[in-house]
Amino acid sequence: MPDRFLGVESAGVCFGNGDARVIALRDVSVAFSRGKLSLVMGPSGSGKTTLLSLLGCLLTPDQGAVFVDGVEVSGLTEAEKTATRQRKLSFVFQAFRLLHSLTALENVELGFEIRNAAAEEDRSRLARDLLSQFGLGEKLHRAPDKLSPGEKQRVAMARALAGDPPILLADEPTASLDAEAGANICNILRDQADRHGRTVVVVSHDPRWRDFADSTITLADGRLREIV
Amino acid sequence: MRLAWRNIAYDRGRFLGTVLGVSFAVFLMVFQGSLLTGFLNAASRLIDASDSDIWITARGVQAFEFGTPLESHVREMAAGVPGVTGTQRVCVSFAVYRTPFGKQQVVALVGADPDVGRRFPVPNVSGSSAEISADAVLYDVSDRKEIQVTGLPAEVEINRRRASIEREIHGYGAFLGVPFLFTSYRNAVRYMDFEPGAATYVLVRVQEGFPVSQVRQNLQRRLPEFDVLTREQFAAKSRWYWTMKTGAGGAILTAAALAFLIGLVVVSQTIYANTLENIEEYATLKALGAGQTFVAKVVVVQALICGGVGGLIGLLIVFPSIAFTRSLIPWVHAPWWMPALMVIPTLLMCSLASIASVRKALTVEPGRVFRA
Repeated sequence: MPDRFLGVESAGVCFGNGDARVIALRDVSVAFSRGKLSLVMGPSGSGKTTLLSLLGCLLTPDQGAVFVDGVEVSGLTEAEKTATRQRKLSFVFQAFRLLHSLTALENVELGFEIRNAAAEEDRSRLARDLLSQFGLGEKLHRAPDKLSPGEKQRVAMARALAGDPPILLADEPTASLDAEAGANICNILRDQADRHGRTVVVVSHDPRWRDFADSTITLADGRLREIV
Repeated sequence: MRLAWRNIAYDRGRFLGTVLGVSFAVFLMVFQGSLLTGFLNAASRLIDASDSDIWITARGVQAFEFGTPLESHVREMAAGVPGVTGTQRVCVSFAVYRTPFGKQQVVALVGADPDVGRRFPVPNVSGSSAEISADAVLYDVSDRKEIQVTGLPAEVEINRRRASIEREIHGYGAFLGVPFLFTSYRNAVRYMDFEPGAATYVLVRVQEGFPVSQVRQNLQRRLPEFDVLTREQFAAKSRWYWTMKTGAGGAILTAAALAFLIGLVVVSQTIYANTLENIEEYATLKALGAGQTFVAKVVVVQALICGGVGGLIGLLIVFPSIAFTRSLIPWVHAPWWMPALMVIPTLLMCSLASIASVRKALTVEPGRVFRA
């Protein structure tokens, strides 16, 4: 494995026992380049989300190793994994996962608060700046249920970028969006790699992403099929 | 902890339900606490009103109301003990009272020497002695209905002897459901048919410079067939009897404990339901890097907010209610420290209520965030 910045090495993950046992990943080794946008594709059940969970320190492999920012994380304690997520990782989800009781601005401020990033008095200003960059300057005080799906995903994106984490993991970020909103998200994530040097991993089976990705990893039946 | 506030504000209906539950619990706890405090005060009120240091009682007397007569030599023997600077007599007995309208009922008649204590309700010391006779009978204003006196002075009968009720006093109302009447020692023994010099209690004042405990021990040695107690000991004994041995205190404490449990169940149910409803959000927080402390704080702060607001409303309601109740139960007493004291069970209630919810929020698997 040439680059140990972000990736897995001989990773295997099983769920369940006995007849219900499912092998989600089998001996997968893959490295994601720093500052690039990588796409992980494959049919349902191919192990894409399991791979993303490993990279996000949300799952521990049954075998093999996981590297995040050059550190082997599979042996870390839960508290250490939480600290790794706090400092180095951020997520964008298919279901947006905004906190429904907070406004758009407060959701982004919460991103800063959780990462303990920026002085408390600066968080609101920085959150406004991020939302304005994503064209949401007029909708700062809207509750999530008053936003369109595309707007929700942009708020989620702003929250993910609060505190400037070096790695962004996105799970089907355009699956719930129409074509225009989806393209917008593709551009934003591409921009994160190009202009901010962020390492972006996108899991999707949306073929549009191929045009935006630096490399594409294809999984099938829990195995690495192809890297392009 | 803006998130905690916002979660509460988002679901106002549930918040209102929780607040009402806590308010009800705090209301009941304060109310029962006031009943208990008032009951304890009333149980030893006359003992506390004396200025004496030591009380001598017949062996085994449990409470002020149930004393039995002591012969006059007890007082004389007590007066001879070193360190005793003075003795006073108090007598108490149930008596038959006939109202000015001829109705008959039982009263508790209390008589005492004039120097028994500044606050003790006897004719000479409870007001301007110029206006009333030394053998006047006093009653508490809260017992006016039972005493049936329409004007003062009023001619009545106590144990078939004529008596003159001449004054209303405050703060010594019926505690047993039987009204108290107060008069001088000299007058009381006449109504009670006591032997000359006999009394239910002999009270002792200790000379300055003598330790009360030492004098009490000497008195006990001199009077081995009687109980010799400091004022505080006899007051505590009386309180213990009325609250514990009669079961009244137990009933009040049980009601207060039930109020606590009601609050606990209401808050825990609501907070738990709220946590379950927002479980995906707790998973999201954890996935985003929120630590255990952060997540626990969100849950606990929600419980504490419910407790704080509910507690405040409960207190705002309970004090006017207690003031109203005082017209029915005169000895109910809500001391100034009761609201401050309520902070402890309220916080405890909310903290305990959030334990299950905190556990749920802390154990949620952050990996579930990828499930659409």
